[in-house]
Amino acid sequence: MDSAQLFTFATIAYLAAMVLYISYLVFRKEGVGKAASFTTYAGLALQTVALAMRWIESYQMGIGRAPLSNLYESLVFFTWCTVLIYVIVEWKYKIRAFGAFVMPVAFLALAFINVAGISTDISPLVPALKSNWLFYHVLLSFISYATFGVAFAVSLIYLLQDTDERGSSVNLFAALGIFALLVVLGYVLTASGMKVPFWIGLGVLAVAWFTYLVMKGALNKPLVYLFITLCSTLALGLLVFMGIDYLVFSMQGQPAGEGFRKHMFESTFISRSIPVVAVSWAALFSLFALIWSQGLRIKALLKQFMPAQDILDDLTYRLIAFGWPLFTAGGLVMGAIWANSAWGTYWGWDPKETWSLITWFIYSIYLHGRYVRGWRGTQTTIISLIGFLSVIFTYLGVNLVLSGLHSYGGMN
Amino acid sequence: MEKQEQQGMVEVVADKIWKFFSSVKLAVVLLIILAVVSVIGTVIQQNQAPEEYLKEYSLTTIQLFENLGFFDLYHTWWFVLLLLLFTANLTICTLERFPYAWKAMRAPLKPLEDDGFKAVPFKKEIVVKGGMEAAETTALKALHGKRYSHQLTKEQGMTHLAAQKGAYSRMGVYVTHLSIILIFVGALIGAFFGFKGFLNLPEGEASSVVYLRNEPLWDQIMDGFGISKSPVIHDPRGGVPAMPLGFYVRTDDFEVDYYANAGRPTGMPSEFWSLLSVYDLRQQKVLEKRIRVNDPLTRNGITFYQSSYGTIPNAVGKIVLNVNQKNSPGPGETIVVMPGSSVYVKSIDRTIKAVGMAPFGMRDPATGQVQYYQARNEELINPTVELEVYRGKSLAYRTQVMKVDSGEPSMPENYRISYIDYWGARYTGLQVTKDPGVWIVYAGFILLCVGPLVAFFGSHRKLWVRIQERKGQAAVLVGGSSNRNRIAFEREFNSIVETIAK
Repeated sequence: MDSAQLFTFATIAYLAAMVLYISYLVFRKEGVGKAASFTTYAGLALQTVALAMRWIESYQMGIGRAPLSNLYESLVFFTWCTVLIYVIVEWKYKIRAFGAFVMPVAFLALAFINVAGISTDISPLVPALKSNWLFYHVLLSFISYATFGVAFAVSLIYLLQDTDERGSSVNLFAALGIFALLVVLGYVLTASGMKVPFWIGLGVLAVAWFTYLVMKGALNKPLVYLFITLCSTLALGLLVFMGIDYLVFSMQGQPAGEGFRKHMFESTFISRSIPVVAVSWAALFSLFALIWSQGLRIKALLKQFMPAQDILDDLTYRLIAFGWPLFTAGGLVMGAIWANSAWGTYWGWDPKETWSLITWFIYSIYLHGRYVRGWRGTQTTIISLIGFLSVIFTYLGVNLVLSGLHSYGGMN
Repeated sequence: MEKQEQQGMVEVVADKIWKFFSSVKLAVVLLIILAVVSVIGTVIQQNQAPEEYLKEYSLTTIQLFENLGFFDLYHTWWFVLLLLLFTANLTICTLERFPYAWKAMRAPLKPLEDDGFKAVPFKKEIVVKGGMEAAETTALKALHGKRYSHQLTKEQGMTHLAAQKGAYSRMGVYVTHLSIILIFVGALIGAFFGFKGFLNLPEGEASSVVYLRNEPLWDQIMDGFGISKSPVIHDPRGGVPAMPLGFYVRTDDFEVDYYANAGRPTGMPSEFWSLLSVYDLRQQKVLEKRIRVNDPLTRNGITFYQSSYGTIPNAVGKIVLNVNQKNSPGPGETIVVMPGSSVYVKSIDRTIKAVGMAPFGMRDPATGQVQYYQARNEELINPTVELEVYRGKSLAYRTQVMKVDSGEPSMPENYRISYIDYWGARYTGLQVTKDPGVWIVYAGFILLCVGPLVAFFGSHRKLWVRIQERKGQAAVLVGGSSNRNRIAFEREFNSIVETIAK
């Protein structure tokens, strides 16, 4: 048996744990919860062995390096850290229901490896990576990423409890209207060659909305409700639609990986057939409406299970207060020292560097936001959510979408 | 009245500015702006050639971005201004709050009165058997066990213990802020007095200048005002400006090692290195170092980093071979021959002719046949030399020698010829920087690692113990507070109370 097989078993264990945690949430049977925890421990143990084996395998191949140096290994390590930190939180706080929110993160990270066709080879290091800094830089970065990931899950639960009012259905229709308008605008501008301005505009709009929510969100509960609905819709929708792409691709017998990434959403949102595009958007809008109408029910379910909001708020703060110093030291400072010893520039405004700085800014805002009057709770929680989105972009988005020095962290 | 108003004007303005810069809200707003603005520079590729931009954007968009500085966003005046504002905000916030934190850290321990006990977040009263003396001893023991420092005061029938630990953790946040100020100052010093440049130096050549990516700001300013002449040499034809080094740097040798798979080079570099020598202006050698990626050479504050390499187009190098008697322990004789020419080797009385030289040859270990492969960018992946060996004028035999041989070259006579180097056809790519501010930045880095750890993992914990005589037993009142991490403190508090109660 080699490490790859063990990783597969660990992935299956995490999938099972995810299903069990969600069933625990729905059916509230103590036995199910225990099974979920046990499956998680088993998955974590398997993955630990697999990590050690991969390390040994690299020595057997004559390469000999810690399993932390390409995208595949970092995704595996990220998952491992996330599950480990989750297990610690579950053990300390004795609350199992968090699992329903954390395990999907772990499972999706591992599933992403297969879907995106990331190379699992143990490849030798390029000269620039041959440095002792590699180990500490990556190790600390990913421990902090995992901490932020768990903080994200906790914040999500906090915000779900925050959804007291959803307002009248006028809100829903207004939101759908604006959404549809933006979609149409997007197609029109893309067709007329103004794709970049459109995305920049959309980004500015999103940031403006985030800022408004953070500043005044607590006063406008229906808007927070809409925000959560939109985020869940996009997260769920993107997953489903990427899944459809993946299925279509598999049916056509094309290999996953490069081709799949380049043709993302071609079987739905950017299909050549207009009816397919229309149906795709209609499905997404329906999903939005569905989540909007059922949100309060989900919340009622959660409320019986979840700890009070002040405990969640405190837990988010502790996780971030733990992750931020590690991220500062491991992610930023060690990265900068390494860059200086390799290229003579400790800071080059490379996209990866800049995005890690943006992430650092966001969590710094979180930590300082608590000292701004009236900012505890909803506002800071939203910042924690945005922070983790920025982490994901720093980690994956930069390599997949933008280019720069860290491009060797790419897919193949 | 009037006087007050006059004074007021200046004071009010100064006060307003100070207040503006000392607010946490401004810090948060600036952080948001910095985060958002930074995104733009990652979406739009920075410092590309105009052709690249034309591929992606329309002319009007390019014009707009150019005017806004979006193509070199992180060096625009307004981005630097944002960073400056942020640093000013940080500095003033720190100055505003530091005295209070210092006072809180240095505040002497004082016994707590009844009102004080009412206000502390944690308190517990217990009765200890064995009198006041015994209670005092156990309490002191419990406090020392948890590394608290204490102060003891006695009144009649009452003993006060005030204890604390982790007071230093109040400084963590200021250490963090100071570190960021240091990094900013260090970066400014680097921009004013340092430079970044590059140098592509062929094997065997020396240079006394490097080519600049950016000129030191100080030199530009001094030159602009006509105060002192910038040492930078500008090419009148608009070439890359050059910075004199004040010494010569020479590439003595350059090598690339490739990863091997089952004894065959794969073409993926595992390491590349240059042997650099430094000569002073009188051409005396002062320094020599083999530099690799992640291991540079420094002279007079100027550092040379191994960054890339390449083959010089149409250049012909020298083939370096070694000739040694078989079974001889000696080093043998090193010979140099140009491709296509021959050289007479006295020690073996043969003439060796290098017929040709290929960048990537490989021997089949079974048949001994040599195959040639295409090498990307003419890279010398496994240089292979075809040799003809002459006895007098007549050809004795032909053979091939190569850098990494997976078989045995044919050597029919009692000596062995081996490949050493193909020298002079490649250049080493060096990044050259001078950054006098880097040590300040590094000092900032160290503080930036330490500060947050102290701030978030430490906490200032205070405990008060009051022991009173009550019917031959000791009534002990314990109170405690912590500025951070209350849950961990609660655990410690309970454990201390338990220890005293025993």
